[in-house]
Amino acid sequence: MLLEIEDIHVHYGKIEALKGVSLQVDEGEIVTLIGANGAGKSTTLKTISGLRPLTSGRITFDGKDISKVPGHKRVLLGIGQSPEGRGIFPGMTVEENLHMGAYARKGDLTKDMAEVYDLFPRLGERKKQAGGTMSGGEQQMLAIGRALMTKPKVLLLDEPSMGLAPMLIQQIFKIIEEINRRGTTVLVVEQNAQQALSLAHRAYVIETGKVVKSAPAAELLTDPEVRAAYLGGDLAVDEAANDTAVDTTPRNGQD
Amino acid sequence: MNLKQTLSARSGVSDRIRDWWAGAPMWTRWLVYLLLLLFVVFVLPTEGVASIMSPQTDWITTLWDPIGIYILLALGLNIVVGQAGLLDLGFVAFFAIGAYSVGVLGREGWPFWGTVVAALAIAAISGIVLGAPTLRLRGDYLAIVTLGFGEIIRIVARNTTYIGDSRGISDLPRPPSMFGLDFNDVLDASAFYYLIVAMIVLVIVISVRLNKSRVGRAWAAIREDEDAAELMGVPTFKFKLLAFFVGAMVGGLAGTGQMGGVQGYIQPENFPFILSATILVCVVFGGSGNIPGVILGAFIIAWLPERFRFLDDYRYMLFGAVLVIMMIVRPEGLLPSRQRKAEMQEGTGGMGSMGAEVATPTTAAPEVGGK
Repeated sequence: MLLEIEDIHVHYGKIEALKGVSLQVDEGEIVTLIGANGAGKSTTLKTISGLRPLTSGRITFDGKDISKVPGHKRVLLGIGQSPEGRGIFPGMTVEENLHMGAYARKGDLTKDMAEVYDLFPRLGERKKQAGGTMSGGEQQMLAIGRALMTKPKVLLLDEPSMGLAPMLIQQIFKIIEEINRRGTTVLVVEQNAQQALSLAHRAYVIETGKVVKSAPAAELLTDPEVRAAYLGGDLAVDEAANDTAVDTTPRNGQD
Repeated sequence: MNLKQTLSARSGVSDRIRDWWAGAPMWTRWLVYLLLLLFVVFVLPTEGVASIMSPQTDWITTLWDPIGIYILLALGLNIVVGQAGLLDLGFVAFFAIGAYSVGVLGREGWPFWGTVVAALAIAAISGIVLGAPTLRLRGDYLAIVTLGFGEIIRIVARNTTYIGDSRGISDLPRPPSMFGLDFNDVLDASAFYYLIVAMIVLVIVISVRLNKSRVGRAWAAIREDEDAAELMGVPTFKFKLLAFFVGAMVGGLAGTGQMGGVQGYIQPENFPFILSATILVCVVFGGSGNIPGVILGAFIIAWLPERFRFLDDYRYMLFGAVLVIMMIVRPEGLLPSRQRKAEMQEGTGGMGSMGAEVATPTTAAPEVGGK
């Protein structure tokens, strides 16, 4: 087991945001965590990457208990995150953003940079452009590319589809699949359940701070409860059943 | 708006100068540095310049205090606000700590330069003391805490008999004569002027070196997105503390450079909150994060009220109007850095994540809407 979260509780002041979340990510997998706005998806990711302290519970990564390790040290262990709302450095150029990704490690970066530009040719065309002046999709690509520059064993993606047009979402999800194919484990948090379930091997459903379901992603796609809550009822049954990684259905959900 | 167009035309010019500068070879740069230094040492403090710049007050005194002092303080605050993006509203505290350290230790019989070294150490340590518990706060909250710190220092100074309560400390130690400069002449501030020029040059060199190093990159990352910086492996807390440490040291240096004025005394009322605010104005007005901009901003803010002394108190009204107009037509400051401009366009306000982080499970929602 590469990443294991056992019964974590996280508080924001007195509000309990996570009420005992447990999940596991195996090496080589794509795992998704789906749920509505405010269910605790982002909090879970932030707790894994160390941006949020946990009140109780345990996070084990690569056989090591990292519950108390500060965020900037978890990067070195191999946890890379593309933050919510893209969170790129707006004043830095594409190139500088990617260099920041490698801030914590030494050595030659040309090969890693080339790999990111290969995955995202768009970024290669805009090396000198300031991150903040790029479009939403490009910023998302930059955020993922920058996370890859940390050389993660597990890549945490916080709503990569947020605010993007359907065409772009597909493109991004294809790239995520490619990243996984090249050997990086992926944990992706999504409101866009349709896309996420089509992409992932396994999935967890989170509701108000608790994991309420976990199953292979394909099973959840046809699960009546999940369909009703996250996939727009039965309207899309046939489509969903025939779904492949390349999905043309417009997004559901509220974002 | 006409004014806005004129100013943005000028911004085209400053962009071109910056681009030229970025591509200029080393010898050109050194030549410019040398010419600037010669200008500051030999031309700026002369009679001819004085008659234009400051007909009513003694120009050299004005150049030293407030102009020199403001520039030094602004450079220090620029490290905290401009480079690391931490809003500090109590910067004057370090200025006071530097000045008082010189005063108290001098009274105990320390030689002048000994008091300066000690003052720098004390100021830097107080930066850590302030930062360690408070730098977990962000944006407005940090601003409020630092504001409180500035007031605490002033009020403690006013109520502590050992450091002279409201009467302050007189007969501050003066630097020994050197390079033919006499610091004992109460009527001539030129020795103090040259001393503060030397201090400013030193701080500029340190600031530039820091900015170009890994430290500078870490500060820029923290300023632009603190969470993302942490995710890149930047130990954000340590670097924020370092910014407070270095900034406090520069503030303390300005305090020792003040030496209580030519008259040689300090009192708590020399360190009011309004001075912290004014120095912040210097930084933002000039171009937060950009050293030439900050120097220009501090120069103008310190000089304008002196130049327009003949308007009596109306000058402050005019001064306020100038500031308001500037912030409307050119919010990024007179000479912003390119990076800062891009941050402003993106909408983070050019001062890091100024909005306080209110910890709720849905923190993200409004942010997303904002972008």
